[in-house]
Amino acid sequence: MGTVENLLLGFSVALQPDVLWYAFLGCLVGTIVGVLPGIGPLSGISILLPATFGLDTTKSVVMLAGIYYGSQYGGSTTSILMRIPGEAASVMTCIDGYAMAQKGRAGAALCIAAVGSWIAGTFGVIMLTLIAPPLAAFALRFGPPEYTALLVLGLIFLAYMSSTSLPRTLLMACFGLLLGTIGIDNMTGHFRYSFDIAELGDGIGIVPVAIGLFGLGEILSTPSATVVGKVIAPKLRQLLPNRREWRESAMPIARGSVLGFLIGLTPGSAHIISSFLSYAVERRVSKHPEEFGKGAVAGVAGPESANNAASTGAFVPMLALGLPTGPITAVLIAALMIHGVPPGPTLVNEHPNIFWGFVASMYVGNLMLLALNLPLVGIFVNVLRIPYAYLYPLVIMFCIIGVYEVSHSIVDVWIMLIMGIIGYGLRKFGLDPAPLVLGLVIAPTSKCRCASR
Amino acid sequence: MTLRSDHIAGGVFVAFGVLVFALSGDLPLGTLSFPGAGMMPKLVAGLLIVFGLLLVLRANESAPVATVPWSDLPHAARVVAITAAAIALYQTLGFLVTMALLLFALTFGTERRHPLAAAAFSIGVVALTYLLFAVALKTPLEPGILGF
Repeated sequence: MGTVENLLLGFSVALQPDVLWYAFLGCLVGTIVGVLPGIGPLSGISILLPATFGLDTTKSVVMLAGIYYGSQYGGSTTSILMRIPGEAASVMTCIDGYAMAQKGRAGAALCIAAVGSWIAGTFGVIMLTLIAPPLAAFALRFGPPEYTALLVLGLIFLAYMSSTSLPRTLLMACFGLLLGTIGIDNMTGHFRYSFDIAELGDGIGIVPVAIGLFGLGEILSTPSATVVGKVIAPKLRQLLPNRREWRESAMPIARGSVLGFLIGLTPGSAHIISSFLSYAVERRVSKHPEEFGKGAVAGVAGPESANNAASTGAFVPMLALGLPTGPITAVLIAALMIHGVPPGPTLVNEHPNIFWGFVASMYVGNLMLLALNLPLVGIFVNVLRIPYAYLYPLVIMFCIIGVYEVSHSIVDVWIMLIMGIIGYGLRKFGLDPAPLVLGLVIAPTSKCRCASR
Repeated sequence: MTLRSDHIAGGVFVAFGVLVFALSGDLPLGTLSFPGAGMMPKLVAGLLIVFGLLLVLRANESAPVATVPWSDLPHAARVVAITAAAIALYQTLGFLVTMALLLFALTFGTERRHPLAAAAFSIGVVALTYLLFAVALKTPLEPGILGF
């Protein structure tokens, strides 16, 4: 079948009422996750992972992916209205978004962020539609040497793209690889570092590590007294940008979309890096760089488009090659595996309903997010009024449920707590936990691939 | 010499790498064509030590330990202690009781909210979550020895 026929098949899956409902639910939860400071998309996806066990694979992945790209939309709301990034990828939006809000252009900034996100997200899905199937077909010819080379390339890219220095990134990746060696060695059957704890025989799971490092670790590093901020309520009558603002945002959206998608293909925190890079590019090419920091439209349009395109770009290596480019795609891969569907070339070729249904749902999801993020901005702002003192205990409760329900193992919950403490320590010493999760994910694969050279 | 954060971080990872080597004594190394169970951990522990040492050697680029802010440590320690107690009790007391106690301890004990507000929040949220998982999502939560 050609791409168009496959896409029609995907839409026939994605437009089923129940799949539409789960896409909507994912987008809604993702927007709330993005709006709330202190809860990232990774925590949101990990916490809701057990809730998808009763669903079929398509609905489950559609909902979890909706949380991921939905959070990129929602993150801009807090940045523009409160100067607090709801999500790490929205840090750059704080600068000019909040400055626009102070000038009474909060509505225009939110609109530009939402439209830019929609254009970039849709561009990303079109590229995913065109690139992933041929890449997956090509990857069917890959053997162990090619996969080993890809894993090494991924680690090298990660080292260069990370926000911290090269030794720090590699140190964290090695730490993750070491954690990945815990449990039975698949090649020889030896138990490694299990200390007579039966649950450790299967190794350390991605979910407890990811939730501990990014969910609990973030909470421990955020004392409730520090989460305060003044909300600049948007005037919905001023939601539409004026002609000058549209003109000034057009090229930054286009550049951010292309730049974000390309960075999304590489390992690392692509959605975060792309927004920083896009801001730098926009400032460099601008005829008025002095306006940046004082409410430049390009400072909102570029980074917001880039982080959405990057989050979609990250699905290309995940779906076509089965390779995670960051902790979020690693958890999504875990979700597919829990449902017995291996990601990678076989997903595209042997489970077209799931793959194309997922791709089609992203076209629909991006439209849903555009509709959600503009008229309902007033409702999302109210979410910010929940005191952090009530919010973080709730998140801890969902972290415990999230980890425990995956395999009903209390050891996993203890691992989450230990990882939370480690995550707190890593932040104190300026070490990025993302490469650790990536190292943990590729550890079993790299061992098997290297051994079967 | 000023003690810097990378001295501490690098030192911890070097010590961890040495510990992994010590624990891997009985794991066979194997050969390059057929690596044993000890090959990968020892190789990676070696790299961990190298990168840890590199961090220590380049520690001058990092901030002095004295400037690392630790004002949030007491709050973090309280949250960890309460969460650890909840994990320890989870399978015994079950979801409803443990989580209500966890939320109450965090909102009243740690955040000093009004006890009635904290109790209402804890019971309300736990009841809603139970209904969401057990009824709407058909994912039964841990019953505990009390049977609910």
